[in-house]
Parts: sequence; C-alpha cells; structure tokens
Amino acid sequence: MNLTTYITEPAGLQSFYEAIVATNETYAPVEKLGKFDYKQIKTPPECQPDSPIEQTMSIKPLFFPKSARVMKYEATAEGTDVTDTTEDPLAGKRVILGVKHCDARGLQVLDEVYKWDYIDTDYQKRRENTIIISARCEQAATHCFCTSLDYDVEQSDAMDVAVINGLDGKVYIQARTEKGEHFLKENASGLAATNGSALEEMKKQYQAFSGSFRLKMDYKEINGKMQSRFESPAFEEVATNCVSCNTCAFVCPTCHCFKITDERIRDEGVRYKSYDSCNNIYFTLMAGGHNPRPAKYRRWRQRAMHKFVYYKERFGVNLCVGCGKCTISCPVNISIFEVVNQVSNV
Amino acid sequence: MDYTMQIQDTAARLFSEEKIDLFIGYRSTGFDNNQVPVLIHHYQDVEQLVFTDKSVFNLTNYLKYEYTRNKRVGLVVKGCDSRSLNLMLTENQVKRENLFIIGIACEGVMNEQGEKAQNCVECVMPDAVIYDELLGAPTGQREYQVNADINELAEQPLIERGTHFEEIFENCIRCNACRHSCPLCYCNKCCIDQETSTLYQGSNTTSGAFHALMTWSLHLAGRCVDCRNCEKACPSHLPLHLLHKQNEQVIYENFQEHLAGMIKDDRGAFYKYSMSDPDDFIM
Repeated sequence: MNLTTYITEPAGLQSFYEAIVATNETYAPVEKLGKFDYKQIKTPPECQPDSPIEQTMSIKPLFFPKSARVMKYEATAEGTDVTDTTEDPLAGKRVILGVKHCDARGLQVLDEVYKWDYIDTDYQKRRENTIIISARCEQAATHCFCTSLDYDVEQSDAMDVAVINGLDGKVYIQARTEKGEHFLKENASGLAATNGSALEEMKKQYQAFSGSFRLKMDYKEINGKMQSRFESPAFEEVATNCVSCNTCAFVCPTCHCFKITDERIRDEGVRYKSYDSCNNIYFTLMAGGHNPRPAKYRRWRQRAMHKFVYYKERFGVNLCVGCGKCTISCPVNISIFEVVNQVSNV
Repeated sequence: MDYTMQIQDTAARLFSEEKIDLFIGYRSTGFDNNQVPVLIHHYQDVEQLVFTDKSVFNLTNYLKYEYTRNKRVGLVVKGCDSRSLNLMLTENQVKRENLFIIGIACEGVMNEQGEKAQNCVECVMPDAVIYDELLGAPTGQREYQVNADINELAEQPLIERGTHFEEIFENCIRCNACRHSCPLCYCNKCCIDQETSTLYQGSNTTSGAFHALMTWSLHLAGRCVDCRNCEKACPSHLPLHLLHKQNEQVIYENFQEHLAGMIKDDRGAFYKYSMSDPDDFIM
C-alpha cells in the first residue's frame, strides 16, 4: 500500500488539528500544574501537541488506565451476584494528538505482552479504535535516548500519522500505517500531497534530530552483557539512593504490572485493577510472609533485567523505549540509562 | 552558600579516623545544575560531595532504611532537615551516638526556576538546630508567617476550595513518592498500603488518592517540618505543601505556637498533654 505524505505551512497544521477536533473524540496533552497529561479536548487551543517531552505524562493511561473497574459483586440471600462492568470510557473511536515517538513505540512494545498468553480484549479494542498522531520531536531532551534502542525512530510505524517539521519551515504530515492513510484521506482533504523531495527534507530533519542526543549506547552490547550480570554487585551500588517509591514504573510507557484490590461496603463491592510496581517492597510479599526481594538492589535488578534481558528474550524487543520519563520523575533522578551502562561495564 | 570544600574535608577526616561507615551528602547529577543524594562508603569517593544552594533533598530520609540503621553515619543537614532529624531522634528512629551531623546555617535553596524556594522564604529556622559541626553564620529563629498559598486559599468559599482540591487529587497517580521521600514516614507497613483493608481504598481513583493523601497529611500534622521533599518528589507536581501548611497553621495557633522539631526531645503537638491546651474545639 502506498502511503501519502502531505505538505503544509504551520498555519495549515493548526487547521488540520482543528478539523480533527471538530469531528473526532480527541485527546491531547493539556497543561496542569506544570505537567502535561493527555485529556479529552473540545477546542484545539486548550492543548499543546508539542509539549516538552519530559514534562508530559505517557499515553499509557489511555490504554491501561491507572485504575479500572473489573467487576461488581453483591452478596444476596441466594449467593453472590457478579456483574461485569461493561462500560469502558476508553473504547470509543478516538484520535490522540501530540504523541511522542517513544510513547507510541511503548504501545507497540506493550502489544507483545497483551496478545501473548491471555488476550486482553479491552486493551485490543482501545488499540484498534485509536488513531495516533505523533508530535514534532525536534530536539532530544536531557534524558532521551530513543535512537539508541532497538527500533527505527525515523521510519517508525508505531504512530498512524507522523507530523514532522521540515528544516525548510514546512510541515510534513505522513501516513505511516494503512489506518493512518485512510484517516488522512478523510481528514486532510485541504492539504497538498507531495512526493520524493519531501522525503529528502524529512531525512535532513531526522539527521538534525538524532544529532541532538546527549545519551548514546549500543543496545546489542547492553543486552548481551546484562545477561551475565544477575549476580553483579554493581546493582547494590546503583540502588543505594533509591527511595523505593513506584514513580518510575507508574510514569513508564511500557511498565504493565498491576494489582487487584477490592473495595467493599457492606454487601456490595467493586474490584479494581490498578498500577503496581516491582520497586515496591510489597510487590513480591507472599501470603506466608516470605519476600524474595526484600532488598532494594534485588528490586532494581528485577527492573533493569526485565527491561533489557527477560522481555528481549521472550518477545525480541526491549521493554525500554528511551523516553527518560523515569529519570526526570524520580525523586533522586536515578537514570535507567546510567544503571544499565554501569552494571554492564563492571 | 558553597560549603563543598569544608564538607569534603570533614568527610575525609571522619573516614580516615574510622568514625563513620557511611557518609550521606549531595553530588552533582552531571547532566544539569541539580544535585542528588549520594551515599559514600569509601574514603576515595569523598570528592564527589558538593554543597551549594542546589542541595535540596532532605537527607535524613535515608536514616529510616534498614541498611543505615545500625551503622555510624555522617550526614549534612540544613535547618529544616535538622528539625526532622530531631523528631526522628525523639521518636527513637535513630541513635544520636551513631551520627556525625554537619549542620548548615542555611541561606535558602533554589527551586527549579532558579528562584529562592517558597519554604526558604518563609523559613522559621534556617540554622541547623542539632549538629556536631556548624558551617556558615547562624542568623537565628525568624517570626512564623502563614504560608502565602494558604492565605490565598482561605479567601475562597468552602465549595470552591473543595473543587480546587478535587482537581489537584485527580492528577495523583498514587506512586507514593511523597511518602517514601518523607523522613518522618518511616513505618514499615503503611496503613494506606493495607490492600485487603476495607478502610482504605487500594485503587488509583481520585477518591482513593484523596483519602490516602488526607490520611498521610494528618499523620504528619504537628510533625511536618516543611522541607518539601514530598512536593519535589511528586511526578505530577501536586502542591502537597497546602495540606501540611494548613495543619501547621492550625497547630501553631492552637497549641502554644508549636513548631515541629525545634528543640530536642520535644514531642509533637499531638503527643503531649498540657493543662493549658485549649479545649474549645473539642465537643
């Protein structure tokens, strides 16, 4: 299938966004308390699709909400009534604007685990019904390292539509998937399609972008070395100033552990599925009282190894997309980049 | 305010005299102007230590962990940090004989925008109140002032205030970074984490967050020293100081101008009983 690239001016992009918001259920980064979070918007000026990458929460909650109802139950004289909670506010047809490349890739990585073993139908439905339009990443932030990981940032098909700022002052809107192509046919009617020269421009833009990275590593080397580092004493060192909160996992676009909790009042209750994190001391606490990961370094080891070894072995992709959200959000700025490099090079 | 050299010298001396097993200080992140806590075990790592007006984190937080509990620890404390240390000593969380404290007569730290932080502007006790060695010139206790945001909030009608807080708590992801960054939240098992409890909501819903944060702030009422570790740790930038400063004001006004951790062995406002405590708000 041929994928089209459209060309426009920055003003044209604004009207492209406006047209989308007018006809679709649209989510975009909205500022609150200095942080940007993806919220449903009614008019384009409320949102900032090109919000600063490190101050933007991930889009994970739109597919894997921080707390979702699983079921309701009620104790009656005859027994227990269990009802599925069918209403899912995230299942409708929708468009997400201003998705960072790393975030979009995060969903591709999550897809692997959500279609393996148990098929999470809620997640699949949300994925199918969503069109992802990327943000214009022009410069790497302090903790970004997406170009050092196992995906092609330049040609990524994680987003349906890519929006790229050319160095020539024009904006390029490119379909990256079939879904995106159909979407653009319907929504980009006012824009001019372009050909080969656009690809040249986009290449130049990508080169400027990839040149702006402070952090660079060879993921193959890291994957290889990490395999033999399970007993490495370096984990103890990197974990010393960790405060064992759950922040890194909760802001991570790919962390997907959850816990199940019940909230009951008298005979009625609701069961919730909410985020959980392996950095939490209770995460592995068993009913008998035994905890296989009582020390911080063991939990950190699990986090690093899961991201760069176990997931890679099972699904062939790294569970880290190099967005740097964990580092910037961490109370003591522990960087997963530094951790894996330090552990690998001991 | 730059005590980098003095702190490095003292830490080096303590290691060479074998007086400490561990030194807790700050180091530069290496990628921006900020500093992060560092735990040093060896003499040769001492040169990592720095101290400037970017040394924000309250290091007494690390005293609550198992691996520092029975070790001899050297650490740096600013005014607010020393008050929380005082409370930890009073509450038997650390042993004074295990500590070597470098106190700072603090001139205030910078926030991310490069301005003097709000809690430093309103600080009542910039000098360390407990120390073995003091750096800088002490300026003494200042007059208590009500937090500017609390004053602003107090003018709003109750309903509006409620909505304001609801909007704030909506952004909470319940990562518990606030709790884990607080030196005075040292419980091994927090009541909010009781997942099987029917009293506390385990879910990440707004009401769950509301409940958890209110409980947390009440457990810190009369104990919070306004170091704002919690607020700086929050990934959603929630203005958590509003909860604590409100409690602080109520306690200051009703409990004989009590301020947490100012004197050693002073128990929190809620732990001591005095005949002169007002009872007009007790039904």
